[in-house]
Amino acid sequence: MARPGFVLEVDRSTPPILTWHGEGFRLERLPAGRSRVIYAPEPLKPLDDPDEEIRQALLHPMGDSAPLPDLLFAGMRLTIAFDDISLPLPPMRRPDNRQRVMEAVLEMAAAAGVDDVVLICALALHRRMTEAELRHAVGDRVYDAFAPSGRLLQHDAEDPAGLVHLGQTDQGEDVEINRRAAESDLLVYVNINLVAMDGGHKSVATGLASYRSLRHHHNVRTMRHSRSFMDQERSELHSSNWRMGRLIAASGVKVFQIETTLNNDAFPEQMGFLQKREWEWTARDRGAYLATTKSLSLAPPRVARSIFQSIKAPHAMTSVYAGEVEAVHRATTDMVYRQQLVAVDGQTDIAVFGLPHLCPYNVNSIMNPILVMCMGLGYLFNLYRGQPVVRRGGVAILSHPTPWAFHPVHHPSYIDFFEEVLADTTDPVEIEKNYEARFANDEWYRHLYRTSHAYHGVHPFYMWYWGAHALEHLGRVIIVGGEPRSVRRLGFSPASTLADALEMASDVVGRDATITHLHCPPIMIADVS
Amino acid sequence: MTGDDLAGGARPQRRLPVSPGWLADARSGLRGRLRPLSSFPLGTPPWPATVARPPVERTLGTDYDSDWARSPLARTGRAVVQEVLAAPLVKLLAAPTVTGVDRLAHLDEPVIFAANHASHLDAPLLVSVIPDRWRRELFVAGAADYFFDTRIKAASFAFLLNAVPIERQRVSRVSARRVSELLEDGWSMLIFPEGGRSPDGWGRPHRAGAAWMAQRTGRPIVPVHIEGTRRILAKGSSRVHPGRTTVTFGAPLRADPAADPRVLAVRLEEAIAALADETANDWYTARLRAAAGTTPALTGPDGADWRRAWALGRPRRPERSRRRERWPWNA
Amino acid sequence: MRALRVERSLTRFAAARISAQPHPLRLADVDPPDLPGADWQVVRPLLSGICGSDLATVSGRSSRWFEPIVSFPFVPGHEVVADTDDGTRVVIEPVLHCRIRGVDPVCPACAAGRTNHCERLVAGHLSPGLQTGYCRDTGGGWSALLVAHQAQLHPVPEGWTDEAAVMVEPTACAVHAALAAPIGHGVTAVVIGAGTIGLCTIAAVAHLRPDVTELIAVAKHPEQRRLARELGATHVVDPDEIRRAVRRATGSWILDQGQLTGGAGVVWDCVGSAGSIADALAVAAPGATVVLAGMPGHVGVDLTGLWQREIRLAGAYAYGPEPAAGGRHSFELAMEVVGRAGLDRLVSARYPLDRYSEAIDHAAHAGGRGATKVVFDLRNERRR
Repeated sequence: MARPGFVLEVDRSTPPILTWHGEGFRLERLPAGRSRVIYAPEPLKPLDDPDEEIRQALLHPMGDSAPLPDLLFAGMRLTIAFDDISLPLPPMRRPDNRQRVMEAVLEMAAAAGVDDVVLICALALHRRMTEAELRHAVGDRVYDAFAPSGRLLQHDAEDPAGLVHLGQTDQGEDVEINRRAAESDLLVYVNINLVAMDGGHKSVATGLASYRSLRHHHNVRTMRHSRSFMDQERSELHSSNWRMGRLIAASGVKVFQIETTLNNDAFPEQMGFLQKREWEWTARDRGAYLATTKSLSLAPPRVARSIFQSIKAPHAMTSVYAGEVEAVHRATTDMVYRQQLVAVDGQTDIAVFGLPHLCPYNVNSIMNPILVMCMGLGYLFNLYRGQPVVRRGGVAILSHPTPWAFHPVHHPSYIDFFEEVLADTTDPVEIEKNYEARFANDEWYRHLYRTSHAYHGVHPFYMWYWGAHALEHLGRVIIVGGEPRSVRRLGFSPASTLADALEMASDVVGRDATITHLHCPPIMIADVS
Repeated sequence: MTGDDLAGGARPQRRLPVSPGWLADARSGLRGRLRPLSSFPLGTPPWPATVARPPVERTLGTDYDSDWARSPLARTGRAVVQEVLAAPLVKLLAAPTVTGVDRLAHLDEPVIFAANHASHLDAPLLVSVIPDRWRRELFVAGAADYFFDTRIKAASFAFLLNAVPIERQRVSRVSARRVSELLEDGWSMLIFPEGGRSPDGWGRPHRAGAAWMAQRTGRPIVPVHIEGTRRILAKGSSRVHPGRTTVTFGAPLRADPAADPRVLAVRLEEAIAALADETANDWYTARLRAAAGTTPALTGPDGADWRRAWALGRPRRPERSRRRERWPWNA
Repeated sequence: MRALRVERSLTRFAAARISAQPHPLRLADVDPPDLPGADWQVVRPLLSGICGSDLATVSGRSSRWFEPIVSFPFVPGHEVVADTDDGTRVVIEPVLHCRIRGVDPVCPACAAGRTNHCERLVAGHLSPGLQTGYCRDTGGGWSALLVAHQAQLHPVPEGWTDEAAVMVEPTACAVHAALAAPIGHGVTAVVIGAGTIGLCTIAAVAHLRPDVTELIAVAKHPEQRRLARELGATHVVDPDEIRRAVRRATGSWILDQGQLTGGAGVVWDCVGSAGSIADALAVAAPGATVVLAGMPGHVGVDLTGLWQREIRLAGAYAYGPEPAAGGRHSFELAMEVVGRAGLDRLVSARYPLDRYSEAIDHAAHAGGRGATKVVFDLRNERRR
């Protein structure tokens, strides 16, 4: 039986707590009497026969949707869109959820004799995936069946001929999405809902949209009013996507949504200590911890990075729902919350976030300083429902080496953002006003996004906006163990140890400040009362 | 210049130093030379024709008791031979590309692997590519009349492949019981439902044994399609031509307890045909044709031998290379 | 009188190359130079700058090109502000051209006023020497006294500090470099290097080139970055950021080999190393001009891009009348720039002659130590 999440009050007998630190981790001792640690719930029991569950979900859809086979007919145009490389984290072992679901859908399409099928990776402004990454996501069978004939596509948000403007919402938001998807008789969207932010109308309205459409909700104002974006009810990001999604439906685009959830079994058995409570570590866990940290400290960064990037999570499917978008998404969100929600009593002065080697935007890549900011202040800070774990004016302490390192192919515009924009200002509003348009319309970034494997020119801005709410909310941000030069460029303060960081934080929040450490990953959502 | 190089002459065949033909020659030669040593009194005396023989206990064929081959010692020995000798040799000769293992990802019970059969290489090939979960506890259903006719053959196959004798035509009560006991005991089975190797490259009609066994034990059947072994070692050939093979695992099939086993047998045959189609074309085309009932049959067209051979054509799929070349090697 | 003197000694030059110490330089008591002619007079230096070319000379790294156009032993120092005997403060224009050498008739270049192109640097009644500070007969700025021709003297405006005056000669070089590239319209330009020449060039471009709307400066050290921004650079970037910075500013693309498809209309290379010239060629737009304002010496550079994109590579040496500024002289323009931009702030350290070793070392590592121009202070020297 999987145990629920747990909040530990740190006392004098509490062992040091595992804190992620990029491609590595440290054991950090937290001050007794005023610290607590939030542990994620243990992995839920997976589905026994996921393929059968998927088939059943397709045959008995939710909401007012007809069963999938009834929507399929010979001679139709069928488009299947699926989530890109940013999900799940870490990438899951084969077979991926997407492969299972797509094969089930295609099996039914084949039974109905559908010839015109196109698969589209709904990557929005993310980088195009490589062949190996696509094979991993959709499986070799699907890849070999569709890619050679050009029927496995990746969404291109900068292809004027490939987009269609469906209109404006009542708030004046442009809705412009992938033409093939919009003009199909049926659009099937295959989701992996790793966190509560994923899925719902956001799948199509964001994943298949253009910059012109995305800028209406990927901006500072929206992000500051999404509290948090893990909580749809209180997220402006979601309200906007929902308006767009309803407009898409009203424009006659028929969407059949399939959402899957995973348990948070994120690390292979030999690294099991990463998702255990420290006082339950066995001799084997301790040995594994020591061996891992020792060998990582000896390995050059490149090697450490490639070791961590090769981790494939033993994630297993815990649920699958299909049918009408909103009905499906309600059920899915409940499942995500069941796996991730931890009840937390009130806010604290200081939050400690150990940042892992991975965020949604550096799979098979490098976690550059901008992504460090986004991971810490965008994602981890926002893993709450109700109110942030740290109080207004409090301090966030991130732990990450934050090297001045960028992946030249994946993140070309990030380098420029870091060198030019952040050298000028770190204020999201200023940045949005003075720089966004130029980066978004830069021909070279556009070229790299469309033909290479680069994130769109505007993407680093979105990373910064992701943390806009936290920047406004927090009194100070300290990065433990970060390279001082890059930490300062981010506008944060570097500290060499957690003790130093807590000392520095006391300038802002006083001597007896309370501390909360989010023991993440595995992912959790703090339900803060 | 030798005759082989003449225009129109056959291309010289590369012949491995050890091939089945060579082995057979060597064995009979050796036997001839050893004969003086094996005759009485050094060997066993001949039985006088006038004296009645006591009834012989039959210990070969279906009666061969292969339990010893599943003793811990034999299992260890077999594992060593398979990993150290057989698997590398198979890789060298058959260079298998294995697909579809992901279809078995969530299975953790014993299963019945049922494959098409074109070559003696099929069993060793499969034994070396079946996922670890099943490989160590796998037995091969071998034709009692072919593999268990002499003591040496029986012992060798029992040891090397963990072969268990089974009738080709109709499964007897004895072998059925033995096989189902093993399946229930946690062992998985590899069986070739065609009952023998293909003589001409086309498949042969399935026999119901595999389906019947699945029905009886409730174990799922995993259809497997093997492509390419015939080009390496065809039936009746004594030469081995190293080449490439593809092994495709299909989604497991489960018996419907209420239905006739023959229904499952038909499903299995169709599944393997669809896997063949998938290997030759692509998965979605194969699924479209399977749904429309137009999957090309593995048994080939009816008619004269030459027409069947003609329809077989050349290897059906060009070699696909996954190697990505970089400039300047591919300008 | 005391003077720092460079003597012709192969062993000393070789030792300097190895040890990075100013071995060819010696502080010696020497006879004051004789007046070579009627139009000559004695001047007494107040401040005398240490220039990049001086550093190359005393460290034995300068090109053999100079061998025939200098005469040993010489007293270095050509960035000089000095007093004449009648108490006028002057800056010296050091080029030793036909008129000064008593060559008559003058060479075609001098006849046209382009004295920096003079063809008779080895002729006339003076020993060979391209400038004061490289000629055995004139003396140089790193001493208590030298002789100068009437035509070399530019009076210093009233109220100027010596520091401002000593910046006139380097600024005149920068003015000449700034005007060496054709005037365009709405030009994005790059200045590589933020030493004295680089910063003076930035200032000169900011004041004399209204056509340059965006000026990207490449600076290595924090103090240089600050000064570059103050003097008029619109963007200041690290050396390894230059290609990306120019790409951003010009909206061009960057290709796999690091070259831009478009780029800057003018690039001033004020470093003169192989790396900086390669950067300059990589970020120059097709048809652009790359001006070498720093003394380059022996470098290895791939010129394919220069050929393929028809880039003009131009040298900029010394000063003369500037056609691009209505024929006004570089020195005259430099006085304006020094005054308006307040370039006296670039003088960061003064040393007496005795501490020449320290001075040279400071000048050689000026950027890293937050300094720009290091000068010899001779105001106490002459009273002895």
